[in-house]
Amino acid sequence: MAKYIALRLGQSIFVLFGLSLLIFFIARVVPGDPARVALGNLATEEQVQKLRAEMHLDRPFAVQYYYWLKSMLRGDLGKSLYTQRPVTTDLRQYIPATLELILFATLISLVFGQVTGVLAGYFRNSWFDNLSRLASYLGVATPSFVVAILLLFIFSQLLKLAPSVGRLPLMVKAPPTVTGFMIIDSLLAGRPDLTLLALKHLVLPAFSLAVIHIAQEGRITRSSLIENVQKDYIIAHEVHGIRPTKLVFKYLLKPSIIPTVTVMGLDFAFLMSNAFLVELVFFWPGFARYAVNAMLSKDLNAIVAVVLVIGVTFALVNLVVDTIITFLDPAIRIQRRGG
Amino acid sequence: MRIWRLLGVVAVLFAIGACCWVGAQGPAQNVAVINGYPVIWTDPAVASDWYDTEVMYNLYSPLVYPTPEGSVRPHLATSWAPVGGDLTHWRFELRQGVKFHSGNEMTAEDVAWSMTRFITMGRGNSGPLGKVTATVVDKDTVDFVLDKPSAIFPETLALFFPVEKELVLANIKKPGSYGELGDYGEEWLGTHDAGTGPYMMVSHIPGQSLEAVRFPDYFEGWTNDGWGPDEVPIERLIFIMETDYTTLMTLLKSGDLDLEINGGWTLPQLQQIKADPKLRLEYVWAQNVTVWMNTKRPPTDDEHFRKAVLYAYDYEAVVGPWAEFGNGETGIILPTMAGYVRIEPQPRQQDLAKARAELALSKYATGPVPPVVFHYCAGLSFEEEIGLQLQADLAKLGLTVEVAGPPWPQYSAECSSPETTPNMTIFLFAPQVAPPHDYYTFNMYHPNGLGWIFEAHWFFEDPEIIRLLELTRATVDFSERLQIYQQLQPMIAAHALAFYPYQKPTPFATQCYISGPKEKTNMVGPSENMHNWRINLAKKAGGC
Repeated sequence: MAKYIALRLGQSIFVLFGLSLLIFFIARVVPGDPARVALGNLATEEQVQKLRAEMHLDRPFAVQYYYWLKSMLRGDLGKSLYTQRPVTTDLRQYIPATLELILFATLISLVFGQVTGVLAGYFRNSWFDNLSRLASYLGVATPSFVVAILLLFIFSQLLKLAPSVGRLPLMVKAPPTVTGFMIIDSLLAGRPDLTLLALKHLVLPAFSLAVIHIAQEGRITRSSLIENVQKDYIIAHEVHGIRPTKLVFKYLLKPSIIPTVTVMGLDFAFLMSNAFLVELVFFWPGFARYAVNAMLSKDLNAIVAVVLVIGVTFALVNLVVDTIITFLDPAIRIQRRGG
Repeated sequence: MRIWRLLGVVAVLFAIGACCWVGAQGPAQNVAVINGYPVIWTDPAVASDWYDTEVMYNLYSPLVYPTPEGSVRPHLATSWAPVGGDLTHWRFELRQGVKFHSGNEMTAEDVAWSMTRFITMGRGNSGPLGKVTATVVDKDTVDFVLDKPSAIFPETLALFFPVEKELVLANIKKPGSYGELGDYGEEWLGTHDAGTGPYMMVSHIPGQSLEAVRFPDYFEGWTNDGWGPDEVPIERLIFIMETDYTTLMTLLKSGDLDLEINGGWTLPQLQQIKADPKLRLEYVWAQNVTVWMNTKRPPTDDEHFRKAVLYAYDYEAVVGPWAEFGNGETGIILPTMAGYVRIEPQPRQQDLAKARAELALSKYATGPVPPVVFHYCAGLSFEEEIGLQLQADLAKLGLTVEVAGPPWPQYSAECSSPETTPNMTIFLFAPQVAPPHDYYTFNMYHPNGLGWIFEAHWFFEDPEIIRLLELTRATVDFSERLQIYQQLQPMIAAHALAFYPYQKPTPFATQCYISGPKEKTNMVGPSENMHNWRINLAKKAGGC
């Protein structure tokens, strides 16, 4: 197993190297002078040229990449032209907010998706199955930002049940940052009132992100469950009079969620890209918002860092998913051992 | 199944807690949430855009303070005068007893060191100053020696914000770009302040939020003269940085946002705000919508062709629904500025007969006319609207206009030379450079002006205009200078280097319990100084 993980990690490093080279090149060939954008409108030509030299923008592409790679290997991703501080500081600031949102969305999609899928599969062709099918079609067809705007309008504007924007009310002082996760930090600060507030602020954006995945994962679990229900060992259990709930939770669920877990890995990275628009709608101070601003202001270092973070996340999540599947499915485990 | 029961109990408890919280209303707080825009750079030597300046005026104090008519008055400096007759040497007497937020008193050493830092770093608003050498004369006097004579030097210092030398020195980061001085304190000043302004920074997360609290020892004091009995100074400011005006509208309507000072509202949004009794609109400074015509590129290289454009454009059609929000006539400088002179075309309406007459005089009267390329900044619908209006208007003369909106980095890069600048480029020029009269004249029409997007007409061939522009910078007396500006405006307009669809007042949208600004100034910054605003807590608690 360790050998397999090491091999996958090695492959990921090559992929990330290629990705960095690609995005480094693309970011630089897009028209526009980042030095001019960074210095603001009133900078003189002399000041612009000085900054261009400092950023090595007056040097050939290969030299620029060499300087960037050298700094990156020291853990320095350069300075953001947008925020005027190290990109690593920005990432530390913004990533936890997005991760908190994505993890919560994953949790919602996992719970709702599995429950819907299992019920729809077990009571197939019932009214519940038909209703969940209709809801799934709607969920998959509606973009996250449309769901976000609808939820905001209904629950925040009309019913006034949920807060509209941010991680906490704007006037409330945030707890000291320890992990960057508002829920954990507020608990660490001994402020359960803030935890409740943070959860309230999390519900709408997380649900907006999760809807599409609830629909997708629900359908996959349903299909997988129906397929497994027809297998001999399940029929044998049924014949032996095992209670339906035990049958589902003990014997059916585990093999049925393997395809869903695989999809969830891809979904995690997908959630990150979907968060771009949801974070904008909910004024969520996360990584995706930062990425959008970096791109709009042609912040070269930030753009490369953003793409790399997404790449690393994708690689790591896929590795984790593969490992989980290996544990869930004995057949794969044996195959990887060379059996 | 015990685990499920336990989870159920937890879920019910959370639901009850959440329901109790909904509907619970806290007491009215003395806080103002202000929208500050995408990112704010808080180092006074780096700050440059108008969003920065708005915050600068709260955290720091400039050496001199802009006045509504366009000049300056004493602030950190109590008086100033040129030394010798060539306007390259200026002496400033400083106010005594001014305290930094640390409690230490400001001295000439701080001011001179701040100027050296400003010029050495060569960022932010330092460009227009040129090379300045600062020397301490005594504890309360500082001398500035310039590399070129300037009568307007004191006025340019409305964007010079001294910092506390010792505090910054204690927080420099090494290594940096400035040798022994490391990074000159740039990183630290990005998240801390070392100023004398009415508010002290508490925290700053670039691109996200900035929080500041009232500085009780602010040298101008906090008297309530001229304010209502329940109007009190705002204790805490929270600047958020949001660019999406749909989100801002949600915040404003829900009462989460108290003041929006950048005015990027759409027309329907403005109408909604105006109709809401809990909100109000306040107009302070306007922006000049300017469409440059590149004089080096056919067909706008012909003066008569450009004049034909001036007359063919339907000013009223575009202003129409915006008129109730103050959009209207403008010219070389803003009509709200002292010394404004109306320029052609007058009256500001479409005159196709005159347009045809001018076109007939141009070298494009016969034969094929190249298409006019009109570029605007992507995402700015009002700019696109002007382009499309022009397209429709020039079609009546048989001319083709190609309208496109590249993103800002590309759009601004196009304006780096006459060869790459499209025929027409549209910009929104806010009075963000001190002094504003100089910004709208010298900086936009003199070969040594700001260049780039500020001079995308590329016309510098009129020696008389250049002479008069230089004379403005050699005239110390403000009223005399105003007379020259008045003389200059029709002269510049005669070359038809641009057309000015309208002035666009910046609507500050605010909750009804926020009052201000007490003094309105035709420049970005002073009006957003929250020392100039008050909050009515009784009204806030009662929902106005």
